[in-house]
Amino acid sequence: MIVAGIDAGARAIKVVLVDSESGGAIGWAIGDQGTDPATRASELFERALAEQGLSEIEVAALVATGYARGAVREADSTVTEITCHARGVRHALPETRTVIELGGQDSKVVWLDEDGSVRDFSMNDRCAAGSGRFLEVLAARLQADIAELGALAAQSHGPTAINSTCVVFAENEVTGLLATGALACDVAAGALASLASRAATLVGARGTPPVVMTGGVALVSGMAEAIEVAIGLPVEVAPRPQFTGALGAALIARDGISAAGDGRPTPAGIEGRIHGRPDGKGRPAGRR
Amino acid sequence: MSCCPRGQQRAGQASSAAGAERALAWFEGMIGRCLDYATEAKERGRPIVGILCEYTPRELIMAAGGVPVCLCGGSAETISAAERELPSNLCPLIKSTYGYHVLGANPFLEMADLVVGETTCDGKKKMLELLAQRVATHVVELPQKPDDADARVHWGRELVKLRQALSDRFGVAISDGGLRDAIRAMNRERGLRRSLAALMRCDSPPLTGRELLSLKSTISCLPDDLAHYESALASLPRREGSDQSHRVRVLLTGVPVVHGAERVVELIEDRGGLIVCQENCTGLKPILDDVDESAEDPMEALTDKYFGLHCSVMTPNRRRFDALRQLAADYRPDCVIELIWQACLTYSVESRLVRGLVEKDLGLPYLMIETDYSPSDSERIAVRVEALFETVRARKRG
Repeated sequence: MIVAGIDAGARAIKVVLVDSESGGAIGWAIGDQGTDPATRASELFERALAEQGLSEIEVAALVATGYARGAVREADSTVTEITCHARGVRHALPETRTVIELGGQDSKVVWLDEDGSVRDFSMNDRCAAGSGRFLEVLAARLQADIAELGALAAQSHGPTAINSTCVVFAENEVTGLLATGALACDVAAGALASLASRAATLVGARGTPPVVMTGGVALVSGMAEAIEVAIGLPVEVAPRPQFTGALGAALIARDGISAAGDGRPTPAGIEGRIHGRPDGKGRPAGRR
Repeated sequence: MSCCPRGQQRAGQASSAAGAERALAWFEGMIGRCLDYATEAKERGRPIVGILCEYTPRELIMAAGGVPVCLCGGSAETISAAERELPSNLCPLIKSTYGYHVLGANPFLEMADLVVGETTCDGKKKMLELLAQRVATHVVELPQKPDDADARVHWGRELVKLRQALSDRFGVAISDGGLRDAIRAMNRERGLRRSLAALMRCDSPPLTGRELLSLKSTISCLPDDLAHYESALASLPRREGSDQSHRVRVLLTGVPVVHGAERVVELIEDRGGLIVCQENCTGLKPILDDVDESAEDPMEALTDKYFGLHCSVMTPNRRRFDALRQLAADYRPDCVIELIWQACLTYSVESRLVRGLVEKDLGLPYLMIETDYSPSDSERIAVRVEALFETVRARKRG
């Protein structure tokens, strides 16, 4: 049997399939959220299963997380990204004490206890400052793809300070900087430094090593290094950082089954809904 | 349903379980009834006195024959009107209150003969100066060193001046006897509301935090309201309801949750929480202590009661931390959520000390939510609230 996690994030939907015996990840899928996240999630889930020659009947349990977690029709239960990223990191890098997750629209810091459970967390407020959206908008202003932003920044000899934390104001600020002769590479390096500084504000004085970075922004080259400078601690990027939340969701689904199997209480968010699910009974109507 | 001893004592009193629903329904119509009451009182020549803060002793206004009405705004819809004159980076409570004024949309403010305000936070104080261009106002100076004897004396003098101002403006003598009557009435209401709040101490309380929040009135001591408080208190312990013992018990602290601005309270309870205690100006804070009815000088008793309130403008605000410790012991929360209206500097800065108290002294998880009246960040707040509850449940399982 397998278990699955779907992370329906603000920008992308990620699916991870996990072997319920070994706990190892065996399948992945990722795609843009689009305008109909429920359907996109279903498509990506089916794609991940098909690539492994599996069918949905073999999925013992599925946990959804992320911004659109409530829309995932296949989910047996939902758990927040905060708990899922913590669970995913605990699996991949069990010594971790601080998780910095920079996603498409959110930035979060999660502090873990020695046993990997969530001790505390902080998250950016209303606006998208400090998230992948910030880099996306500034990259577009520099006529670069977000994937090229790191390479562009690497050519810089002196980052340009970007003081606006608001994405909209920062775009205006960059327009002004370019108009007064700033180089695109320096602005790109400034954008990474600015985002790193926002992340460092969330960490505050409470950064506890080892620090691990997750979320799609971790894939931008130079980003982890910029955060290391900003927080003064080494930062390791989680393996497949975009998938950490979905992996955590799948592992929480698996924890729920094993907990139900030996009679212990089910874990956070499962709320007992996974009890008896290995036989596929009692699934929501959307599940075929 | 497991319930506290207070409930069991009351269970024998006459009132059916349906009485609980009737009492809750009564307070749903609170604004309309208060408006009818104020309109009729005004027609009979009684002055309507707007208040903006729990530091204003309603007793003085009542003893002057006036009707004290809370004017604090809880609507997102009046904020853009307020921002024509006020900076956008100001707390939504102040902006909403003032926005009603700009739009002429708060009938209580429109009929007010006087608005009494205090020098609590700077935003409110300066907003009052703008309000004073079109409405009669009286400002009471609130000293902010709660443990300073001179500050207490000054506060007492400010209340004497308020008594005189009310007397002069409305051409009435405020007698000590009238003041004592008002004190007794307010104490009775405070006591009833305190007992209703104490129902939340149960493992499975007979009402939600949102329902408790509705059990109050923008005009105090209306005789029909007092009767319904009594009836709610008698009937709620026998109310048929679902078991609430599995929900995460939340102590909510911070800014007031004004009528119309209950979004975060509803969100917390929608996502599996139960707000068992509200340590704020719309919850227990103003009703924790009564005014001493046996005091020789009622003005001294009023001075002590109201100077004892622990708003975050006080420095240092030791009484708030004492209250939080006591309330946590009485209401046994699983976690503490602090609500802060955007740009409320004093609560925002003090939150660092509250977090320290909650995490270190009480050993509970703490979450601070800073927001305004706009629902645009509800989903982001929900993620944090749900993650907090996941953490609480994981800790409970050990």
